Amino acid sequence: MGVIKIDTIFFTIVDRGKANAVLRKAKECGASGGTILLGEGTVQSKLLDFLGVTETRKEIVLIPASDELDGNLHEQISEALKLSRRNKGIAFSVPFKRWTLNESVQEHNISLDDERFTHCCIFTIVEKGRGMDCIKAARAAGARGGTIIHGHGAGVPADYYFHLAIEPQKETILIVARKEKTASIKKKIYTDLELDKPGNGIIFTLPVSRTSGLYEDRD
Amino acid sequence: MSLLLDKAKEVTKTLVPVVVLVLIICFTIVDVSADVLVRFLVGSVLLLIGLTIFLWGVDLAMNPIGEYMSREVATSKSPVKIALLSFLLGFLITVAEPDLLILGNQVEEASGGTLNSFLIVYMVSIGVGVMISLGIFRLLRDRPLNRFMAVTYGLILIMGCFISQEFLAIAFDSSGATTGALTTPFVLALSLGLSTVKGGRYEEENSFGLVGIMSAGPILSVMALSIISGQNNIRGEAGEYIFKKGVIGPIMEAIPNIFIESLIALLPITVLFFIYNFTKFKIKKGEMVNIIKGITFSLLGLVIFLTAVNSGFMDMGRIIGMELAKMSHGLLIAIGFVLGLIVVLVEPAVHVLGSQIEEVTGGYIPINLIRMTLSLGVGTAIALSMVRIVVPQVKLWYFILPAFAVAVLLSFKSNPIFVGIAYDAGGVASGPMTATFVLALAQGAASSIETADVLVDGFGVIAMVATAPVLSLMVLGTIFQRKKVVELGHVGEVAESADAFPVALSDFNHDCLFVVVNRGYAEYVVELARKAGATGATIFHGRGTGDHQTVLLPLVNIELQPEKEIICLITDIDISANVANTILNDAQLVEKTEVAVYVSPTVALIKDVSLSECSSAV
Repeated sequence: MGVIKIDTIFFTIVDRGKANAVLRKAKECGASGGTILLGEGTVQSKLLDFLGVTETRKEIVLIPASDELDGNLHEQISEALKLSRRNKGIAFSVPFKRWTLNESVQEHNISLDDERFTHCCIFTIVEKGRGMDCIKAARAAGARGGTIIHGHGAGVPADYYFHLAIEPQKETILIVARKEKTASIKKKIYTDLELDKPGNGIIFTLPVSRTSGLYEDRD
Repeated sequence: MSLLLDKAKEVTKTLVPVVVLVLIICFTIVDVSADVLVRFLVGSVLLLIGLTIFLWGVDLAMNPIGEYMSREVATSKSPVKIALLSFLLGFLITVAEPDLLILGNQVEEASGGTLNSFLIVYMVSIGVGVMISLGIFRLLRDRPLNRFMAVTYGLILIMGCFISQEFLAIAFDSSGATTGALTTPFVLALSLGLSTVKGGRYEEENSFGLVGIMSAGPILSVMALSIISGQNNIRGEAGEYIFKKGVIGPIMEAIPNIFIESLIALLPITVLFFIYNFTKFKIKKGEMVNIIKGITFSLLGLVIFLTAVNSGFMDMGRIIGMELAKMSHGLLIAIGFVLGLIVVLVEPAVHVLGSQIEEVTGGYIPINLIRMTLSLGVGTAIALSMVRIVVPQVKLWYFILPAFAVAVLLSFKSNPIFVGIAYDAGGVASGPMTATFVLALAQGAASSIETADVLVDGFGVIAMVATAPVLSLMVLGTIFQRKKVVELGHVGEVAESADAFPVALSDFNHDCLFVVVNRGYAEYVVELARKAGATGATIFHGRGTGDHQTVLLPLVNIELQPEKEIICLITDIDISANVANTILNDAQLVEKTEVAVYVSPTVALIKDVSLSECSSAV
């Protein structure tokens, strides 16, 4: 059957303010567009931690891409933003299929055993305020760090006070780790944050087909 | 890159132009004594340090406190309790504001003692309390801000016809005095917290506007005071201004006083928060430590900042004003304009508002654009203030009343989120920098011009600075509304080739769906998804571009990206197709907005999956 082509969403996590540059570069490479989210990254520094600085502001760029474009994007954007240097940002691709109506049967064409999937991206969705706990747990299990995105839950009946629905605030934590480490990180988060209790949150992993700028790959 | 460095960089970027301009003026046009010059330079360095620390303290302390307090307000179930708590908050933060007491004393003096300074302070605080209370009710009930403000300013306009123009100036100035360096970030945080707790369709619009509503309170109370007491004119002379000598001396002298003032200003919020913490919130220790750190940093930063501004910038402003007024009136107006452009960007609250706008809109509104508009507004305001000082026939209300009338009209045509930002900007722009540096400049100029009255003309400057940005941002909002990206987009589906689709492997137990839609449709998509069998979802705010949607704003060359919402759904692998099809099949949705659905298989652990499966899953 040969190598299967994988459509992806190309994720880039960079410092606040650089997302527009990423998007511009991506368009030069032929991407049709992208979406930018605001998030927070983590820092590892005792001094900064003491001073109360525990996060850095990041932007997350999501660009849908075909297999060829994806490879191209990794090359071009790593070069343009110097992702190979420390703390400049990371990029990774998650296989995603754009859903269309004209096909009746749509099956996934990927498997976790594919040797291209060297990394996994762990998504954890928890109550607001517990994001840092999650990252602490992940660090204890060998992850390097994570990115927090703020969002709000929907669809689940919310509390009502005084004619208004209080929307549950959520934090989504994105952690990219090598496939071998994924299981233990997940387990650690799962137990530490007591995700087995209903309502405490969910955790899921997505396979990652390509990465650029990951710290652990530079050792 | 750490947050702290970012903040320092941001402050430096705004401060450098001010320092450069002042130095150019010092070396070319105006002869300034070495003492004042050195003190200005020391002041600039202190200002950089102080403002950086202060902003960071605000991030650490004011934002969480605002958030907790707002949750407390929003979830107290009885309207009476909401009213009481919000009134108390508004009253306490205002009563402790040092600027207000200074203003009170000035007015007491100027009115020959008929108006007691305590009476003024309490009246203004009550005014703020009532307005905050009303503002919070407005927010919780989703009443449109533009109508609310139209009524408020209508009232101000009517009352304005009955009072003397000196009192008009005092009334507007008192509103500038209440929106101090601490109050504004706190109220901004409060309003942001309330709107996030409340959520819903108008979340973004509701995040702004409370500062604007709050600053209408003092205007109304002072006007009422003037009408009731029959006090109509102010007289008296401003005391002879003495320039301080030395460099370190004046700076050290200023510290104790400023420290006490800042402490008093910070106290009510902190005490109220601690009382609530012990009785209700019971925040975790780690978080509490951070908040305490934040409060300490806020205090420290504020003291350094205010010391720098008071001892380094005030004399400088005054001298420049005096000398320029003697030389050429045209030059005075021109330099007033340029100084206004850049000085406003050093205001602490401008930074706070900027980061809040970015946070709330997911970067949809470019901060630089807001800053530019704000600068332009304040620059014009100061230039016009100078015109007013130079030409005695030009009265304050020539500018203020029409400006507000136009702003109110535009607020019905403007992009709704800008309405709140614009009204807030008035309070945000008139902070400590304006109250010292710019005011000193104006008073200096007035003291050199015979026809000008230091007291009366001085009073009007803050009023102008508080008015102009409201108008300029409202204009920007109207432009935004017109340029708004056409929401009807074609769905850029790419036909996928169906050849390579082997059967899914069983190690994936769920599908992860990302649905990208234009802002405002997320709730609808979740509803659809639930009908199709999905359970919950998480919504993120962001901005994005496609091929055909980029709108370039003329002149400034800033790209506008439409706001997007991303809905993340985790569904069972069997129903994901159904969910995706339902969303894409919904004619109403596809017609109105751009929809894209992305699907990826995932290994999910949801409550019902046991731990043993977890370890074997990957």
